[in-house]
Amino acid sequence: MKKIFAAIARWITGMSKVWRREFSLVFKDPGVLLFFFGLPVLYPIVYTLIYNPEVVKEMAVVAVDKSATSESRAFLRKLDSTESIHIIGHAADLAEARRAMNEHECFGIIEVPADFSRRLGRSEQAVATFYSDMSLLLRYRQFSVALTDVQLATGAEIAQQSIDNAGLPGQMVGSLASPIKTDSVFIGDPTQGFASFIMPGLLVLIIQQSMVLGVTMLAGGHQERRRRNHGFDPLWVDASPSAIALGKTLCYMVIYLPILIYTLHIVPWMFKLPHVGSMWQAMLFMVPMLLASSMFAQMVSVFVTEREASMLVVVFTSIVFLFLSGLTWPRYAMNPLWTAVGDLVPATWGVEGFVHINSDNATLAEEARPYHALWILAGAYFIFACFIQGWRNRSHRLAAAKASE
Amino acid sequence: MNALTASLARGIRRLSLRKVYIVMMILVPLGCTWFLLDLMNEGLPLPVPAAVVDMDRSSLSRQVTRNLRANQFVEVADESLTYHQALAKVRNGEIFGFFYIPDRFQQKALSGQEPTLSFYSNMSIFVPGTMSYKGFKTVAVTTKGGLVLTTMTAAGVGASEAAEMLQPVVINSQAISNPWLNYSIYLVNSFGPGALALMVLMVTVFSICTEIKHSTSPQWLATARGSIVIALFGKLAPQTVIFSIVGIAMQALCFGFYHFPLNNHPFHMIMAVVLMVMACQAFALAVVELLPNLRLALSVCSLVGILSFSVAGFSFPVQQMYGGIGIFSYILPLRYYFLIYIDQALNGIPIYYSRIYYIALIIFLFVPFIGLRRLRRHLLNPVYVP
Repeated sequence: MKKIFAAIARWITGMSKVWRREFSLVFKDPGVLLFFFGLPVLYPIVYTLIYNPEVVKEMAVVAVDKSATSESRAFLRKLDSTESIHIIGHAADLAEARRAMNEHECFGIIEVPADFSRRLGRSEQAVATFYSDMSLLLRYRQFSVALTDVQLATGAEIAQQSIDNAGLPGQMVGSLASPIKTDSVFIGDPTQGFASFIMPGLLVLIIQQSMVLGVTMLAGGHQERRRRNHGFDPLWVDASPSAIALGKTLCYMVIYLPILIYTLHIVPWMFKLPHVGSMWQAMLFMVPMLLASSMFAQMVSVFVTEREASMLVVVFTSIVFLFLSGLTWPRYAMNPLWTAVGDLVPATWGVEGFVHINSDNATLAEEARPYHALWILAGAYFIFACFIQGWRNRSHRLAAAKASE
Repeated sequence: MNALTASLARGIRRLSLRKVYIVMMILVPLGCTWFLLDLMNEGLPLPVPAAVVDMDRSSLSRQVTRNLRANQFVEVADESLTYHQALAKVRNGEIFGFFYIPDRFQQKALSGQEPTLSFYSNMSIFVPGTMSYKGFKTVAVTTKGGLVLTTMTAAGVGASEAAEMLQPVVINSQAISNPWLNYSIYLVNSFGPGALALMVLMVTVFSICTEIKHSTSPQWLATARGSIVIALFGKLAPQTVIFSIVGIAMQALCFGFYHFPLNNHPFHMIMAVVLMVMACQAFALAVVELLPNLRLALSVCSLVGILSFSVAGFSFPVQQMYGGIGIFSYILPLRYYFLIYIDQALNGIPIYYSRIYYIALIIFLFVPFIGLRRLRRHLLNPVYVP
């Protein structure tokens, strides 16, 4: 019995020693400090500033008005008055308009055919054509929303007139023009702004990546010290593998708690991003996310044998993880392979859960799936991290024994 | 062996000595491109999981539900939900939106009391949110139109005439060069080259500064008989060749195998990618001249490389950004490559209109000449600061 207690006490002392040593390693290393503090503090600000204009407005469009009647002019005025479209000028024909587009002066061309008002007068359908530049899908989206609105508004106006002209009974007209109403509600990001959509998810990804960068750089430093000292790291704490993995994790958790409050609470508040969910639920949700990230980072650090190599190994993965998280390309449309790979990344679940809690006001209970997944990942990566630390311990003790000979 | 061949031989040898170079220069850019191509193979993430909340359960509401089921944008998974159940499903991500048919919908619609059809789209995940909105809107508008049509024909207006009355103006939208609105075309052509640019920046910095870190830089200069230009050429030219081949292979993958729009001579794009590789090398070299420290130079280049994806205006247009932020896009080689891609591959317009972008990429090549003397000084007296 005593032996067990002694073992537990030894384990706890070992873990505490690792925790303390890791703290001093972090705070003496400007590179790691930059990753742990500089990156999560500055990146959210820079990113939000990039996307903060939120919506695309007043995109340049050239008009080709072959009809040149009061109807066509009224139609073009209506387009011009939408939020998205700004008619910068008229061209004589499509070729001239196309030239303006080639010169990058406009992103769209609206062509009103010669028979536009004639067809309207005959109560036939008049067709105008809009040519959209497809370099950015966001532009096309804004254009098509504006065009649909104008089409419906003009349609309703003219339909009203022609129904009147058709001599249908007066009381019928009102209900004819709109027998039902439609109402569209946007959840989560009601302004449909770009920053409001991408930032909450990006914040979680930034937290994971900054931690992985810092932890792998620490691991690189450890390897370099060993190479300099014939396989022996003077700053190594000899403890059981699980004590090392947990001691390090405790150090990172303590460091990331204030960062978490800053990134996930203060940043959305500063930039008026969607932030309707309970902050405490979000923080609770992030506990397994941080644990899983820390264990994941310790596992990845086997690939890093040099301090600076951490960047070579980790930076490009941000792009891969961004896509795997389903923020740009939804997860339901991925094939099983990429869904499975995405399942292995803590940020995938972190993004899903945090976005729903933060923007859609979900409760922690509603995010049980990602929450449990994160605990499972944390557990699984903890076991891997223990194996890695155990392997390091062995080779380290070997080197130490050799050195003492 | 003269200085030039010796330097080149040394540059190639150093590349072959470390595995990290093969991974960073070949596997990562090609792997990322393949990953993106395979991930978004469908082109559009359709149909979007959605639901319908039918509080009416009349023949008309069932008609609306059938219309939703027939819609290409949404897939109605469940129709026996309450409002709160549907909202909860949106919150935990099972569905991305739902269509709400209120109580006594048919009765009110036919008696002219104007009931309201509502549709809810979750915009916190932008693309499926937008797609579900599009699908819902179509169904709402056609339902409305169908009702009017029925009443009008009942009142004695001819069916075709009624249709023309209802929709007198149609705006026909033409999506130039990407009529399928394919997401893959749009994202792979920006993020693939972005990954390549990131890797060029990092490998260039790493290969130069690692010589300073391990104090092998005097020996490197000695191989080039003290000439910094020959030394850099010997080191960077082999990388230029490898990265260019990788870049062209990426283009072959996109334009050749996946048949992405390439509406001009392929040489225009090959020229662009080779110039972009060289411009990125020049950019990284200039960073090294300013900060001859492995960690700091790598940090700066990772920052630039990662921010390029956003600042170069792949998803959010540069014209719309704050002026102070948008201006940074002009110092990124990637931005010019992207603009060339739009003009030359996507829109296929004459190369004349893209001339400025090619010239901008060439101008990058001259920037590092300013700091060569400074770099040489640091290479001769390598000091490693962790």
